[in-house]
Amino acid sequence: MMSIAFQDTSNVLQARAEHNAKLALRADRKRVTWFPVVVLGLLLALPALQFVGNYNYVLHLILFTACYATMASGWNILGGFTGYISLGHNVFFCIGGYFAGMILARYGVSTLVTAPLAGLICAAVGYLIGRITLKTRGPSFIISSLALVMIARILFDNWHFVGGANGVALPANDLSVVWAKLPYYYAFVVLAAAAVFVSYKIKHSKFGLGLRAISKDEIKAESAGIDTRTYKTLAFAISAAFVGMAGAIWGEYLTYIRPNIFLVILVSVNMVLMCILGGKGTVAGPVIGAILIVAFNEIFVATLGSSELNILASGLIMALALMFFPLGVIGTLAAKHRLPRILNWD
Amino acid sequence: MSELLHVSNVTAGYGDGPAILDGAELTVEPGKVHCIIGPNGAGKSTLLKAICGMLKVRKGDVLYRGESLKGLRPDQVLRKGICFVPQERALFPKMTVRENMRMGGFSLPDTSNLEKRIDEIEERFPILKERRDQHAGTMSGGQQQTLAMARTMILKPDIVMLDEPSLGLAPKIVQEMFDIMRMMAAEGITILLVEQNALMGLKNSDWGVVLDLGKTLFSGPAKDVLQDPRIQDLYLGGSKAA
Amino acid sequence: MADILQTLILGLALGGVFALMGSGLSLVFGVMRIVNLAHPVMIIAGAYVAYWGFKLYGIDPLVMLPVAIVILAVIGILLYKLVFEREARSAKYSEMTVLLTFAVAMIVEGALGGLFTNTQRVTSPAYATDAIFIGDVFIPTGQLYAGILSLVIIAGLALFLKYSRFGYAIRATTQNREAAELLGVNVSMVALVSFAIGIGLAGAAGSLVSFVFSFFPAKHWEWIAVLMSLVVLGGMGSLLGTVVASFLLSVIAAFVGTYIGATWSTMTFFLALFLILLVRPQGLFGEKPELA
Repeated sequence: MMSIAFQDTSNVLQARAEHNAKLALRADRKRVTWFPVVVLGLLLALPALQFVGNYNYVLHLILFTACYATMASGWNILGGFTGYISLGHNVFFCIGGYFAGMILARYGVSTLVTAPLAGLICAAVGYLIGRITLKTRGPSFIISSLALVMIARILFDNWHFVGGANGVALPANDLSVVWAKLPYYYAFVVLAAAAVFVSYKIKHSKFGLGLRAISKDEIKAESAGIDTRTYKTLAFAISAAFVGMAGAIWGEYLTYIRPNIFLVILVSVNMVLMCILGGKGTVAGPVIGAILIVAFNEIFVATLGSSELNILASGLIMALALMFFPLGVIGTLAAKHRLPRILNWD
Repeated sequence: MSELLHVSNVTAGYGDGPAILDGAELTVEPGKVHCIIGPNGAGKSTLLKAICGMLKVRKGDVLYRGESLKGLRPDQVLRKGICFVPQERALFPKMTVRENMRMGGFSLPDTSNLEKRIDEIEERFPILKERRDQHAGTMSGGQQQTLAMARTMILKPDIVMLDEPSLGLAPKIVQEMFDIMRMMAAEGITILLVEQNALMGLKNSDWGVVLDLGKTLFSGPAKDVLQDPRIQDLYLGGSKAA
Repeated sequence: MADILQTLILGLALGGVFALMGSGLSLVFGVMRIVNLAHPVMIIAGAYVAYWGFKLYGIDPLVMLPVAIVILAVIGILLYKLVFEREARSAKYSEMTVLLTFAVAMIVEGALGGLFTNTQRVTSPAYATDAIFIGDVFIPTGQLYAGILSLVIIAGLALFLKYSRFGYAIRATTQNREAAELLGVNVSMVALVSFAIGIGLAGAAGSLVSFVFSFFPAKHWEWIAVLMSLVVLGGMGSLLGTVVASFLLSVIAAFVGTYIGATWSTMTFFLALFLILLVRPQGLFGEKPELA
């Protein structure tokens, strides 16, 4: 009788070996790096269209998408890789926007110059906040992130130095209408590319492995010798930095900063929604998600034109995605081994 | 005599995970104490959970008095007369002992005699009477196990399945638990016991079953299981341990 | 001295209302382990029921209260069937579940906004603007009624949980879901009914809130953090804890409002939430950090 049992184990071993071989075969199929590079090249060349006509609307859409791709990729580093869902990341959008915006308003230095600095400030603030709130986990963390938005809203609404609830108007640049969007367009495209690149680098580093271990099982990760506290706080800081840089440039692009631009729930929701729709924890997911949501918003707002219905629609998409499409576009395709090679950026 | 419960060729596991039980066989005869032994991860607890409906039976069947229990919910299996006391003892820590006893009778269609029935059982377990207004979570491990076992008697079940009643208890207390179990058996309740402490479990049982790697490897009178040299070697920690 | 007494009384009156607002949230978490971020928006929905009852037919919000309970409970049942049934069956918390309630909150907010616009509303029965004077101290009648009625409803809930057969099942499921199932409790039914009761309580709270605060659909975001601070401080799932925490925090908020400034009054709840999550995530009455 016993010999039967041992035979079973050897079968299992053999099956495991075969499974591993299959996995190795799949990983062996090379990912395609030329595709994102070509897309980036096209995006950088696109403004040449302005020589033949006024394509400001197209530029605006791409710029808007790139802005959200940056923020969603940033969010993904904490929410996707590390598994800490934050509904309060618009706080960093706000801090970045106000920091660079106030420098622009007072000293006339463009946010294009100060954006990296705004990113650093947000990383520092993110580090401090993360140091505190990352002690909590799961729903507690989500709730604490919501409380953070509420606190920030009250502070910014009542901070007279930055104009309180009315905010501050920022000077527009003196380029002609045709070229006025260009600096921001390039800034956002470059930021988005950087966010994607950094995500890729993180995912393929020891750091990224640690983050994924934390998202799978934090206690095990810790007992495996990963300094989880430092890891996740760093992830929080990096993620805040990207959102902050996007905020910095967004303020100047809109030519005003006001709490109800940055600290509204839809901004945080969009980041989360993009990552879920595109595929949480994947590199390409946030970008795909940003494209989908911006396109959807454009159609929806154009046809219905009401912010209430926009909230309703966002909620509906989010609920449906969570219930029936939790892995997102990239995750679902990958799970079915149908992910086109051009979208495999991981 | 005829069999009360028959587990035939059952495959089961957790969620979408691998099969923990893989073709398990078990025959339960009325009125006897059956002890299932085997190493950690052999599928002992899984077997009990599959019988009581907490886990889905993927393949095979569980027959109780010739009727299949497959696909029934735990509350439906309970109403057929099979009680399960899991390792964690299934108590409500912030309810009083008395309230825990009342919960034991929750599945009764007619609760008019419930209080009387609880009083009867409390008479037999003085410690439960003494602590009736105390929260269950504040009692010692042995007292909690006593409560969990005594509570099953409210329903006058046919079969009581005990998952490691000795877990975390001092040896002296463990014997008390087995004494309660024997007392239940003496009243005609069929016992299905899963024990990590194989030696003690078998000594207090009539029938022994060895389960490993999800399969039933041996089944026979507890005395024979205790004396089989292969089993002693593999599952009883060698004969020295005796 | 009169100032202090006055502030205390205003704080206590609101404490009762907050306790009712938080109790449904606490109940749903206790049974289903779901942090229902859509609870506050359900309160707003309940407030609209009372508002339209008064505005269109002149029915007193206190009379509309049972109507609001029934309407919201039915919404709760539908929501449970459509969205949460699968989640409840898995019995294990996941972040996705919280996000799902968040999505539901947005759907309801959007729907309410689409139907009733984002105008500030308040139900104004005669007593809402009245006050009772005792010496130098006054008690706004509306807040007094709302506070007392809240406590009566909570007491009713507590008695139901303590003594009814279904109350036993709910408490058992809250404390040990697996054990409840093994003892013959149909836990999915318990989850459904608890969810309906929880949302029904939101309806009750809404009718009272409708004449105590002004409201509009997007207001619920502010209440999410406020209510969370109450249930987290009280220990998620503990009704008594929620009540105690409500009185405690709303009295503190009242003092902050009187002596520091009205703007900072709500800040009390948010900062408290932050502090509790960090220092004692299990809350006042919780034994283990179930949320962490």
